[in-house]
Amino acid sequence: MTDEPYRWLEAIANRREYIRDQLKDATPVLAVSRPEGVILMGVGTGQSKVFEVYDRLALAALGNPVDIERVRQTAIEAAHLDGFTRDPEDVTARRLLNFSICPALKGSFEQIFAAPLLVEMIVAEVALGQANDVLARVSYDGSVRYLTGGVAVAHTSATDEASATEWLTAGLSPALSQQEVVERMVAVWRKLVSGGPFAGTAIEMHPSLDIAGKTVELAILARESRTQATYKPLILEKAE
Amino acid sequence: MNGDFLALLPRREAVTAGVGTHGSSAPRLEATTVFAFHCADGILVAGDHRATAGNVVFSDTTEKILELDSHSLMAIAGSPSVALEMARTLQTSFEFYRRSQLRPMSLAAKLRALSRLLRENLPGTLQGFGAVAPLFAGVDASTRKPAIYFYDPLGAQFEAAAYAGSGSGSASVKSVLHYLETWGPHPATMGISDAVNLANRLLMTAAEFDSATGGIDPGQRNFATLKLLNSDGIRSFSQAEQAQLWQEGRR
Repeated sequence: MTDEPYRWLEAIANRREYIRDQLKDATPVLAVSRPEGVILMGVGTGQSKVFEVYDRLALAALGNPVDIERVRQTAIEAAHLDGFTRDPEDVTARRLLNFSICPALKGSFEQIFAAPLLVEMIVAEVALGQANDVLARVSYDGSVRYLTGGVAVAHTSATDEASATEWLTAGLSPALSQQEVVERMVAVWRKLVSGGPFAGTAIEMHPSLDIAGKTVELAILARESRTQATYKPLILEKAE
Repeated sequence: MNGDFLALLPRREAVTAGVGTHGSSAPRLEATTVFAFHCADGILVAGDHRATAGNVVFSDTTEKILELDSHSLMAIAGSPSVALEMARTLQTSFEFYRRSQLRPMSLAAKLRALSRLLRENLPGTLQGFGAVAPLFAGVDASTRKPAIYFYDPLGAQFEAAAYAGSGSGSASVKSVLHYLETWGPHPATMGISDAVNLANRLLMTAAEFDSATGGIDPGQRNFATLKLLNSDGIRSFSQAEQAQLWQEGRR
């Protein structure tokens, strides 16, 4: 089958369709670069979506939990091996993506006789200065986009993802408190999963960060940290 | 007894009485003085800054109290090259486990990991140039209590009820700590300010009797490396903080 180019292309196209279909009900994950660090958010029902990878690295992923776990383990192993062989300073998001995560995803996507990895994600790296933070949007086929606006949204609809990124980017100023930033992230999440069109409609803000029946998972890669590990769960006071 | 392993060690000039002790059977390591004791706020782990090679002062800015993770400290005594590599291995191992398993490694596993590294270092220990006798301070996740452990160079671990010391100047430190434990004031009931001053005085005492111990120099605002460990994590005391506490302690 693979020795016939047309059938190979068809198989790849079918594979894309299959993956998109499998991911259609996955809920979005978000990351925002702020003066105090990079905030990551995911909403789950028991399964985590936001993970620490290394001292200054974290990922937020959507998709099949087993596949998320496989990619997570790959990333953690590669990061620690690199950090031990060289130095923790040398472990960067770009290196991790280019040499470990993206080749693994691309390889899995193109192995048409094996089940693909059903994962999309954001990889975040906190730097000493906010301008040097790295937010990377990684697709299931291993392609990666480095985002420069300080906001990353991973969602199964590319159009809504772009609109959500635009809305968040426009609405976030450095003067906002952490609570206000998270409120906006939660509002965008609600809007994305509500199913309606995103662009051109109002986004409702809720003072409460709770989402019924689900767990809002928040973490920060803190820019200033006393320890080498900068990743910390973010716990905000809940509004009444 | 030719087959007795412990009898073999002194013949090969390996460590029997602690790293860096003076004497004909000791290796030529005069690396350090580190110690740890319980105080009211947790465990205070202290060390000087000196590393020596024979009678040569190699460095007076050596960090010997190393943070392995947010709740584990290793105080290194012995061959710095081996000890620092052990610390790096443990740091990576503990953090890898925590990140991949989404929970910290148990205290027992951490202790065993260090024990295994020491045992693997047996050739260096036997040859007399790579011996390491570290102290380990960690927090048990279930009881949330901090504990001090000391090791022999072959990897046997022992929990210290109140204090432990290692390195060439540790005999003086342990003598004073034993006196205080027996006759008071008990270090275990001391607040952190008094404990910090006690640690610096202990290092001063050790330096008086051991040329390999760097000691402290309050006039130059040169104090010990001090880290407090408890269930909240690790707190380091800067030189400025120690200088202030030292001044307050003299009033």
